[in-house]
Formats: sequence, structure tokens, C-alpha cells
Amino acid sequence: MARSVWKGPFVDGYLLKKSEATRASGRNEVIKTWSRRSTILPQFVGLTFGVYNGQKFLPVLVTENMIGHKFGEFSPTRNFPGHAADKKAKRG
Amino acid sequence: MVLVGAITGAHGVRGEVKVKSFTAEPAAITAYGPLFDESGTRRFDLTLTAKGGDLPTKAASSKALLIGRIDGIVDRTKAEALKGQRLFVPRAQLPANEDPEEFYLTDLIGLAVRDKHGADFGRVIDVANYGAGDLLMVEGSAEGDFDVPFAKAFVPEIDLAGGFLTVDLPDDFFAAPSFAAAPGRDGEDVGDEVETEGEVHDR
Repeated sequence: MARSVWKGPFVDGYLLKKSEATRASGRNEVIKTWSRRSTILPQFVGLTFGVYNGQKFLPVLVTENMIGHKFGEFSPTRNFPGHAADKKAKRG
Repeated sequence: MVLVGAITGAHGVRGEVKVKSFTAEPAAITAYGPLFDESGTRRFDLTLTAKGGDLPTKAASSKALLIGRIDGIVDRTKAEALKGQRLFVPRAQLPANEDPEEFYLTDLIGLAVRDKHGADFGRVIDVANYGAGDLLMVEGSAEGDFDVPFAKAFVPEIDLAGGFLTVDLPDDFFAAPSFAAAPGRDGEDVGDEVETEGEVHDR
């Protein structure tokens, strides 16, 4: 069941404070968090979070199209390794 | 040599084979010319005849599964003998990248990782993408295995010819996060609800 709109998005409060502090400092910093349940808010865009997957903190560079999703969606707890073959990666 | 697929078995009685493709677009396995074995001595001229998704059986419905015919393989016995054969193309057969910021994963994997002062951080063992951009997975560092976002801010220099890339990591990148940052451990807000701009709260 979807979350009621009147409640607003859920986010752990400490994460907001840390993101504000990081943005104010202007440093290239990874905010490590266990809070996979927090919703990605517009004020997180451009920041890098290290989201715990039970094993390590996977870096998640937040972009606009990730708003509204949860942090945990970008840090899978299981890994399905594939083959490189002709696949490409683009440096962002 | 770049691994692009593998023969998973025989299909039918006329020498057709089932091929599992590892390429981004499964049917592109034949786009880079003839296929070879790992040593490059045995050549396989593969012609695709059907895609797995087109077949009626549930077991063959995978999009990465292809059906093809290899020159010289005319009966099922010969096709079955190829089961497990891995298929490679020479790296030179892959087309050059038009975008200077785009790299083949096969080129990135194996690169040595250094910091801006030249200190060794191990090697890239894989490139993953979980929906938040590409991540370089690095192994062999004294700090332990770690992942780096494949972004200019973190990877300012890539020297494919030199066989290394340079990473620019924040000072506290390897620092363990403080428990004070965890919800419920220091009396911080837990389950806090935040109102965002433009949000309507009709009760």
C-alpha cells in the first residue's frame, strides 16, 4: 500500500542535517549511512552517499531522476556479476 | 580477447546451437566479425537463426539466449560437442568510442588504481551499475576493497595506455562512520517526517 500523501516523504532527520552540513562545507565528501529506508529528497541532488548493503557502504551519487526513491534501492544486498563483453561505462 | 558469449548446447538435429550472449544487445554478438576460442586459434562463423524470446518453450524464452548455426557443424553430435565453448572476439574488433568520456568495461577492468600522490590502491576488478551510475570496484588496496563512483570528481584521470587511473578520494573516505550518525543510537530523530517545498498537506 502506498504511503499517505499528507504525511510527506519519510527521511531520517540526521541525514538531512548531515547533507546540509556537507553542502555548506563544499567538500567532496561521502555521507555514510545505514538509513536505506530514507527517501531521496531534492536537496540531496549532487551529493554522494555511502549506503550500507549489509557488507559495505556503496557510493550513491544522487541525481534528479532518483528523487522519490529510497536509498536502499541503489545499494543491492545481493550481487549478480555479469560479463564486460562490449558494455561501456560513461564517466559522469 | 574479449568474452562475448558461450555455447550452452545443441538445438534440434541439424547442427544448430544455443548461444548465450553477454553483449549489451544480445544479437550484437555477431556484429564484431568471426568468433574465436580463448587462444584465438579456432574460428567460429556464427549465423543467428532465431532469438530465444521467439521460441515457444519456456526454457528458451530468455532474451540473451540465441539460436545459431556455425559453419562446419551439420549434425547434433558435433553441436553437442561444442557445449560449454566460450566465444571471444579480438579487442581490436570492438569499434572505437566516439565519446571521450565513454570507456569499454573490458578496458577499465584490470587498470591499476593510484591516488593523486601516486600511492598504489590496487586494481579495478569490475564495474557495476546499480541504478546510481557506474561504480569501479577496486581490490588489493591496503585499506581493503572499496567502490568508487565513476565520476570526474572521484576519477579525474584515466590513462589506458599507461594502464592506470587516478582517484581523488575525500580524506575520510576510508574512515568508519560514527555510530552517532546512526538512527536511534544517539537520540537523533528517528522516523522523522519532513515537509518538502510545494507539498500539500490536506488533513
